[in-house]
Amino acid sequence: MKLIVAGPTGTVEHDGGAFHPEQQARIFSVMDGIRALGLEDEVFYPPTPKAELSDLTRVHSAGYLTELEAFCAKGGGDIDPDTFARADSWNAARRAAGAGLAAIAALEEHADGVAFVPVRPPGHHAERDRAMGFCLLNNVAVAAASLTAKGDRVLIFDWDVHHGNGTQSIFWDDPNVLYVSTHQFPFFPGTGRAREIGGPKALGLTVNIPLPAGATGDVVRTAIDHVARPTIEEFSPEWVLVSCGFDAHQADPLGDLALSSGDFAELARMVNEFTPRPGRLALFLEGGYNQMALQMSVTDTLGALLGLHTHPTAPTYGGPGMNQIRVAIADRDRAMEHICTTMSSAKGER
Amino acid sequence: MNATPTIVVGYDGSVDSAAALRWAACLSRAIGGRLRIVHAVGLLEHAGLLEDHVTVHRETSLGVAAEAGGDPERIEWSVVDGDPCSVLLRMTVPPESADLLVVGSRGSDAHEGSLLGSTSLELGERSTIPVTIVPSAREDKNPVPV
Repeated sequence: MKLIVAGPTGTVEHDGGAFHPEQQARIFSVMDGIRALGLEDEVFYPPTPKAELSDLTRVHSAGYLTELEAFCAKGGGDIDPDTFARADSWNAARRAAGAGLAAIAALEEHADGVAFVPVRPPGHHAERDRAMGFCLLNNVAVAAASLTAKGDRVLIFDWDVHHGNGTQSIFWDDPNVLYVSTHQFPFFPGTGRAREIGGPKALGLTVNIPLPAGATGDVVRTAIDHVARPTIEEFSPEWVLVSCGFDAHQADPLGDLALSSGDFAELARMVNEFTPRPGRLALFLEGGYNQMALQMSVTDTLGALLGLHTHPTAPTYGGPGMNQIRVAIADRDRAMEHICTTMSSAKGER
Repeated sequence: MNATPTIVVGYDGSVDSAAALRWAACLSRAIGGRLRIVHAVGLLEHAGLLEDHVTVHRETSLGVAAEAGGDPERIEWSVVDGDPCSVLLRMTVPPESADLLVVGSRGSDAHEGSLLGSTSLELGERSTIPVTIVPSAREDKNPVPV
C-alpha cells in the first residue's frame, strides 16, 4: 500500500506564537513521525493547491468566507479565547482545505494508497458560518462534500478527544454522510451527546460515543464495536475519512483520555475495516499537542495501516467507561424512538 | 417567559463583562428574576494555559453581583464547556430556557467592526431571545447602546 502525504501545510504561516499549543512545531513532529516509518522515497507527495471558493461554499456560507478573508486582510486577531487568525491565515486555511482535496484526487489516481493530510489549522470545530476551537475552515468536511457532490457515501470517523461539532452540524441532515465520533464528555465544545443522532433526512447517521475522562483504548474499541459498527456496516460507506486527532493520547495537555500511540494503531486498523476497498481511506490531522506523543502516534497509526512493524506502544486497558457504553446505546435508542414518534404524530396531524 | 424570569449573563473576567453583570444583577433584583452567571471554558482555559482561573472568576463575579444589589438567593454561577457564543446560545433552549441574555459590548478577545471576535454582535445576530448588550465602562471607548 502506498502512503500519500498531502501536505504538510502550516509550517510557517498562521503563527499564534510559542504560547499557543496549536503551533507550527506540531507539523514538524508529524513529519518526524512519517520519517520514522523509513519509507523515504516511497512516499508520494501530491501538489496541494489552495481550495477554491467553490469547494469551500459546499460547507461554509459565502458570508462567513468573506468575513474571514476580510478579517485576515485587516491583520486578523483573536476570534475567541482559543482561536486566532493572522494576516496569512486565510491562505493557510485554504491550503489546509485544499490538501484534503488533493489527498482525495491522489487516492483516485493511486487505487492502493492510504492518504494522510498533515495540515494546520485543523478543521473539525469550524461550523458552516463560524470559526472556533482553533479551526477556521472544516478541512474534512470540504473533502467529504466534494465526494458527496459526486454521489458517494462518506463515513467521517472522528477520534479526536474533542467532539467535532462543526462536522456534525454541517452534515446533520445529509443522508450521504455518516458522522461517528468518540470523544471525552462532558468537555469542550459541549456537544456530542449520544442522543444527538442526526436530522430528519439523516436520522441515525450521527453516532456520538461520549467517554469519561481516563477512558482507555479497550473502552474506545468496545464502544465502536457495540455503538457504531452496526450503523457503519448498514451505511456501507464508499469512502472513509478520519478526523485524526491525537489529543486523546494520555500525554496530551489538552485532553484527559488515556490512549497510547498503540491504541491509535488499533483504531486505524478498525477504521480501515470499514473501507470498501484499498484506496478509500484518508486521515486528516486535527488535534494533538504533545510533540512526542504526536510523533509516535503518527508513526504507529500509519505503520499499522501500511503493515509495517513499527513496534507501537502497547494498547491500554482498564480505564473507566464500559458502563457508559450501555448508557450511550440506551440514549441513542430513546432519541430515535422519540423523534420517530414525533415525526409520525406530525404526519398524522397533516 | 418563565414564571420567574431567568437572566443569563456571560462573564469572562473582562471589564466589559463585569459591567454587563452589574446591569444584569440590578435588573434581576428589580424584576425579582433569577440570575445565572455563565463562564465559558474553552480549550486553553481547560488546559490551564490562560491566566484566568475559574475559581477567581467565580469569586469575583459573585462579588460584583452582590455589590450591584443582586439577591444571593437567586444568583447561580456555572461553568460550561464551549466557546462563549455557543455556550450562551445553549442557554436559550431547554432545559435552561433563559428569557434574556446579557453580555458586555466587547469581550476580552474582540475586534472592531467584525462579527468574528465579537460575542455580542454574534449573539445579536443568532439569538432567538432578547439580548442586552451593555455598553463598555472603559474610558477609552465610546459606548454605543444597542
